[in-house]
Amino acid sequence: MFENEPVSAFPNITEITFESISKKFLKVILLNAFFLFCVILMGLILADYFNLFEELNGHFKLSYGAFIVVFSSVILLNFLGFKKRKYAVREKDISYKSGIFFKKLTTVPFSRVQHIEIDEKPVSRLFGLASLSVYTAGDSSDDLVIKGITKEMASQIKEFISTKINE
Amino acid sequence: MSNSFNFSSFSKQSLKGVLVIYINLIFKGIKFTWFLLFLILKDFSKVSARIGVNYMYLGLALILLFLLVRSYLIYKNFQFKIEDEHFILKQGILKKTNTAIPFHRIQNINFKQNIVQQIIGVFKVSIETAGSSKTEIGIQALSFAKATALKEIISKSSKFEKELTMDTETKPFVKIGFSELFKVSLTENHLQNLFLFLVIVIGFFQQINQVIAGFGEVVSLDGFIAENKNVVSGGILFVFILLILLILIAFLSSFVRVFLIHFNLTASLKENAFEINQGLFTKKSIVLKKQKVQNITISTNPLKRLIGISFITFKQAISGKLNQKKDKLIRIVGCKPSQVEIIKKSLFDATEVENKEKKFSENYYKRRIFLLTFLILFVLYAIVYQIINSVTIFYSMIVVFPIVVFLILKKVKKRYYKISDSMLLVGRGLLETHLTYLEIFKVQNIKMKQNIFQEGSNVVDLILQTASGKIKIPCISFEDAIKIYNHTLYKVETSKESWM
Repeated sequence: MFENEPVSAFPNITEITFESISKKFLKVILLNAFFLFCVILMGLILADYFNLFEELNGHFKLSYGAFIVVFSSVILLNFLGFKKRKYAVREKDISYKSGIFFKKLTTVPFSRVQHIEIDEKPVSRLFGLASLSVYTAGDSSDDLVIKGITKEMASQIKEFISTKINE
Repeated sequence: MSNSFNFSSFSKQSLKGVLVIYINLIFKGIKFTWFLLFLILKDFSKVSARIGVNYMYLGLALILLFLLVRSYLIYKNFQFKIEDEHFILKQGILKKTNTAIPFHRIQNINFKQNIVQQIIGVFKVSIETAGSSKTEIGIQALSFAKATALKEIISKSSKFEKELTMDTETKPFVKIGFSELFKVSLTENHLQNLFLFLVIVIGFFQQINQVIAGFGEVVSLDGFIAENKNVVSGGILFVFILLILLILIAFLSSFVRVFLIHFNLTASLKENAFEINQGLFTKKSIVLKKQKVQNITISTNPLKRLIGISFITFKQAISGKLNQKKDKLIRIVGCKPSQVEIIKKSLFDATEVENKEKKFSENYYKRRIFLLTFLILFVLYAIVYQIINSVTIFYSMIVVFPIVVFLILKKVKKRYYKISDSMLLVGRGLLETHLTYLEIFKVQNIKMKQNIFQEGSNVVDLILQTASGKIKIPCISFEDAIKIYNHTLYKVETSKESWM
């Protein structure tokens, strides 16, 4: 029997290949975590030294242990989650996905982009990395943000989207 | 309407504006110092004995005079004109500000009247833009003729269609009279209104408490509260009276709210805009461009359905944070089904999507709600048991559990979506029923979320972000979600229509 199946013009999100973000960004994450670690540890040591929590007397050592356990699991999660951070730029839209336990996939069509931002944070700048934020209309607090791509890549994508918007 | 007004050189508002600004200033002053005033009035004799009555009146007169001079200066320095497709405004007494708004950025021009403006017969004209709230402009007092003339000039600009001009000739298709409004308020969600009322009252008392604490008189109020506590534990009669009082307050607050906002509601249909007029003390005239409407929600509750009315909420594009612009939510209450049809038909063709079959969330959704609700109930019971320490409270489970189960099943049943080629219809609600209609091409971006538990059941949450907020479809199968995801992107990326 002859069947005239309509040709699907739909671009399929499951068929695109996502790119990983720069490997150097893992170092940025670890460095940032290390700084935070140092600051909190300093705080704990000071609190211990001046005996701020008297009612805890003696059990204060436990809080060091708890802190280290929590912190190392956070590092581990970041380490595992890092591989899941991926982005893809297509002809008409840009996508980003992330997360191990809470997976998330966002796509922004270029025709709805309001503006694009490139941020360079101090630690990222050491490694020549930047983050790219794409804003749309409405409550744009959690639109698409790609952290940890090279600065050249970020500006390339920005250029690409800008030319697409003005078409 | 003729344009006998010349906007090419700077002009001021109507001279009556001084009065409007003056009264506004006085109100503002009272609002900021009400507690101080209250304290002075309470111990008037004591305070006046110390300072002297004459000095007090003199002070008051001086303040009033100062405000009058200030409002005159504000009036005098508030000047606007129109120059090559820009609305230009300069204002400020000491700190001068110049604002220029290009016509194409102007979204709406609204006329408003508060009670003072109604008495002296002037209009407040507010010019809304899509940008930040800083560029919003309010001209306090213009005569009707001048206001319409201004609107007409701005409307003539290429981007802002002519049909938007005030046209009092068109016949309104929705007109809500007194009896209808009565019905609307009777069937309001009284619980919610009571809650709102209580929040306001609690906020009020907290404010008092804080101020009193600042004055170091906290003891007296504490004594007052302690006294009241004794009364509460005093008897069942008191609880009964309290309950009736609460019900009365709930009804009353519903009535007041509905009548204040929606008094004399009329809505009329233009070629590409709705015009909505409503309000008791503050009359509002809103012109809503159809193109700017991002999505509409038709809501009803069991009581309202009984008498066949529902209300429609229009959502316009917002900028920045959601809460900043409550005005952008425009509501028409008390619509009959035929009127709902007219509104729907004028915006889009919804018949196709309505005839599609309902698709419900996967079973995972039901399981999740049951689990979470009973977890919360368990914790609540545990806490109450800790406090009261008596097994009798567990008897209440016989009543509470069936109600909770019934409500959850209701909520799950109302959670569905229908999708056609161009439209999406999302249903939700607990006691109320909300149906949200969205034209797919108006989506801004799309998200898919899946946590580790959902992964096991192969379901995902889909979140469609529009310019007026998020629309969520929770816990649908991964395959369906991918279909909608792809379809939405396809629709958005191929559409030539502008989303606002």
